[in-house]
Amino acid sequence: MKFGIFFEMSTPRPFAGDAEPRVFHHALEQARLADELGFDWVWAVEHHFLEEYSHCSSPEVVLAAVAAQTERIRVGHGAVVCVPQMNHPIRVAERAATLDIISNGRLEFGTARSSTWTELGGFQADPDDTKKTWDEFVRVLPKMWSDEHVSWEGTCFSMPERNVLPKPVQKPHPPLWVTVTSPGTECDAADRGLGCLGVAAASYAEQERRTAEYFRRIEQCDPVGGTVTREVTTLNFLFCHEDASTAAKVGMGMVGGFGLHNSHLLWTREAYPTRAYQSLGNLAPGANRGPSSGGPGDAYGIPEGICVGDPEIIGAAIARWESLGVTGINFLLNAVEMVPQPQVLDSLRLFAKEVMPRFAERA
Amino acid sequence: MLTGTASADDFLAHAATMTSFDTEAVELPEADVFQAMFETHIGGRERSLPPGLHPTAVPTFVAQVWRCPDSPWGEFALAQARVGSRSGLRPRGHIQGCVCDNERAVEGLRTRWGFPARLGTVELRRHYDAVEAVAGTDGHTALSLRGVDPEPLDPDDPQYSGSVALAHTPRGLRLVQIEYDVAVTRAERVRPHLDAFDAAALGVHPAVDPYYPVSASIATGTITLHRLRFVSRPDELAFTGTEPV
Repeated sequence: MKFGIFFEMSTPRPFAGDAEPRVFHHALEQARLADELGFDWVWAVEHHFLEEYSHCSSPEVVLAAVAAQTERIRVGHGAVVCVPQMNHPIRVAERAATLDIISNGRLEFGTARSSTWTELGGFQADPDDTKKTWDEFVRVLPKMWSDEHVSWEGTCFSMPERNVLPKPVQKPHPPLWVTVTSPGTECDAADRGLGCLGVAAASYAEQERRTAEYFRRIEQCDPVGGTVTREVTTLNFLFCHEDASTAAKVGMGMVGGFGLHNSHLLWTREAYPTRAYQSLGNLAPGANRGPSSGGPGDAYGIPEGICVGDPEIIGAAIARWESLGVTGINFLLNAVEMVPQPQVLDSLRLFAKEVMPRFAERA
Repeated sequence: MLTGTASADDFLAHAATMTSFDTEAVELPEADVFQAMFETHIGGRERSLPPGLHPTAVPTFVAQVWRCPDSPWGEFALAQARVGSRSGLRPRGHIQGCVCDNERAVEGLRTRWGFPARLGTVELRRHYDAVEAVAGTDGHTALSLRGVDPEPLDPDDPQYSGSVALAHTPRGLRLVQIEYDVAVTRAERVRPHLDAFDAAALGVHPAVDPYYPVSASIATGTITLHRLRFVSRPDELAFTGTEPV
């Protein structure tokens, strides 16, 4: 089981003053500590215009800073929006390769297509087209990184023969992922040899079904790139404290705060009737569920599967995810700075000391 | 976190009076539902909702026009002017203006579900190339919408958020949660055009200024207006201000 931290850069109002710089600098401090503690990944989302919920519109800059300030931890785009109105594929390839060089080959490259009307509408992108443009991006990007001369005649973009530079350190290219929000995207991931970067709420039963289907299909995949990424991760929250009731009080406040801000976004499914979007956005597990669902933290009102609690509660939840075939968990550490930074760092330290070793031993 | 800042008094001009919450569900078969969403200017998002509701990010105005050939009150057409919102976590369109062309339906919708309905003219015309809807009050056009270039959709594609409407209820002034669903048999997406919008004539808050088209759909199906289950206080967030009825 691998563990990562996941940055949304959610920012409390008012935005004037130092609110945004504080969030970004706290995140960098968390990344440095996660590196020291042995976490595997730091992921940064790409979102645009999502006030409070996520101010992480330039993840490549954030990840470059993380790469410069850390030694070992892998840096992940979680994920680049593969919509040409937002990111031209050539620029995506150039930036990612540069980041792989800067990080000494530590880049994980996630792909996505955006879930909100707020973002797609802001860039005047057609929601009907995003699945198509994503598919085109994931086929052409590995060629840009691997081939000396690339030309492309596509639907969303075309280019005459060029050498896209620089080339990434990792050969043939960094591991490729796709964020999984809508049911069925796990099949898209498997068929293309991509890792499943879970960013949506899924119950144990639903995650088990998705994971089994993913690992079944990936054996017959037609990889879009030169490597296959066989991974299924889920998104979770982390607040670890010796006292479970304290953990529940602080951690569930964060979970609720995140869910509330998430629910106020204008999801594409709600705004724009289309077959291309069949689910309402992304929610980490528990963000839209009430307390007490029979999980290990039930006595404290912690929903099933949520990594909030003392080390025993969190360890039990992770063991359950692991039993379903999940290979990694990425943690949201805060929401609109509801948890003071010292407590976030203490939570990371306690988790690394008491919980991570149990899963390292198993691996 | 954003919440509305408007006074509840701003929405009382056409508020319904309900004497009971005990109403049976009603089915409206073979109804046409024309829904069009527009973005509104961000500057007015908090001012256009009461404190019990949150604006969506980005803020929206949704016009929803029903043509119901069969109902307990006879044939009627209804135009609703809704502001996109959240009641706690839940998507809810706050009905601020509502025009209906059938006096019995006006009475039924006001007293049983709290719609701020007023008698007026409502026309919904469905063509192969376009949909048109016009609503008027006092001989004045309050809302005129078009949807052009229909494209077929799956019946599950259009999404219909529940509604809330401010009404005088047995518990006092409350946001009545109007739950309904549409069992769609046929649906098309159309490109929306807003040809006329008179906030004052509709009874919509003056801060609501739809300006940017998002999407529209026209669907046929059975609308079910469910029994009332919840109301909430207009000046309190839904987490603490919601009451079962």
